[in-house]
Amino acid sequence: MEEQVEMVGKAFVDHYYHLFDNNRTELVSLYQPTSMLTFEGQRIQGVDDISAKLNQLPFDQCRHVISTVDSQPSAFAGGVVVFVSGCLQLHGEEHPLRFSQMFHLIPTGQGSYFVQNDMFRLNYG
Amino acid sequence: MDPDAVAKAFVEHYYSTFDTNRAGLANLYQESSMLSFEGQKIQGSQSITAKLTSLPFQQCQHAITTVDCQPSGPAGGMLVFVSGNLQLAGEQHPLKFSQMFHLMPTPQGSFYVLNDIFRLNYA
Repeated sequence: MEEQVEMVGKAFVDHYYHLFDNNRTELVSLYQPTSMLTFEGQRIQGVDDISAKLNQLPFDQCRHVISTVDSQPSAFAGGVVVFVSGCLQLHGEEHPLRFSQMFHLIPTGQGSYFVQNDMFRLNYG
Repeated sequence: MDPDAVAKAFVEHYYSTFDTNRAGLANLYQESSMLSFEGQKIQGSQSITAKLTSLPFQQCQHAITTVDCQPSGPAGGMLVFVSGNLQLAGEQHPLKFSQMFHLMPTPQGSFYVLNDIFRLNYA
C-alpha cells in the first residue's frame, strides 16, 4: 500500500510538470469544479479560473526540475497527499527559482486522479 | 469557525510546543497519523513522538514565514502548508524548511494531525 501511494505520487508529479512545461493549457484536465489552488498566497477555485491563472503566468517557457516527492494516503477513499520540492528554470533567467508545492489527489473513478487541492510557494533565499 | 484562523492557531500551537515541550506533540497525533521526515516514514503517535524527541538537537526555534490553508473535503479536514526557518542553538545560520499538515477534526472540537510531511529547503 505504501509503495503504491509513492508510485501514484511520482507518476502524477511526472505527468503534471511535463504538462506544465510542454503543454500548459492541458493542465485543465487535472482539475475539477471543486478544485482549489493557492498560488503564492492567491486563492483560486474551479477549472476555469485555475486554468486562466496558470496560463497567464508571466513567462512562456519554463522547466521544472524536481528534487523530492513525498506521498501519503489522505484518508479519503484512495486520496493521496503529495509534497514536492524542486527548481523552476525560467527561459532567459540566469538562476532557477526554488519552490515547494503540495497536491491532494482524489481518484476520478476512471483509474486516474484529479487535483482537489493545490498549494504553491516559491522558496526565497 | 474561520479556517484561516484555525490554521494559524494550529501552526502557532504546533511550533511553540515543538520549541518548548517537544514531548507534548504526542497529543497532536493519533495511531493513524503518518509523518514523512526528510523522506523517512513513520506511523502512529508513539513512533512519531519518539522520532521528533530524538532529533539531534536540544534547543530550536521555528520562525514561520508563510501559512496557506485549504479545506480538504466533506469530512471537515484542513490542509496547511507552511514555510519558515529553523534556528538550532549554537548554529550560525537557520535552516529553511517547508512542511504540510493534513488536520482532521476530533469529536471534542479540536484537530489532530493525520498527515505530516517535513522537508528542509537546501540552497
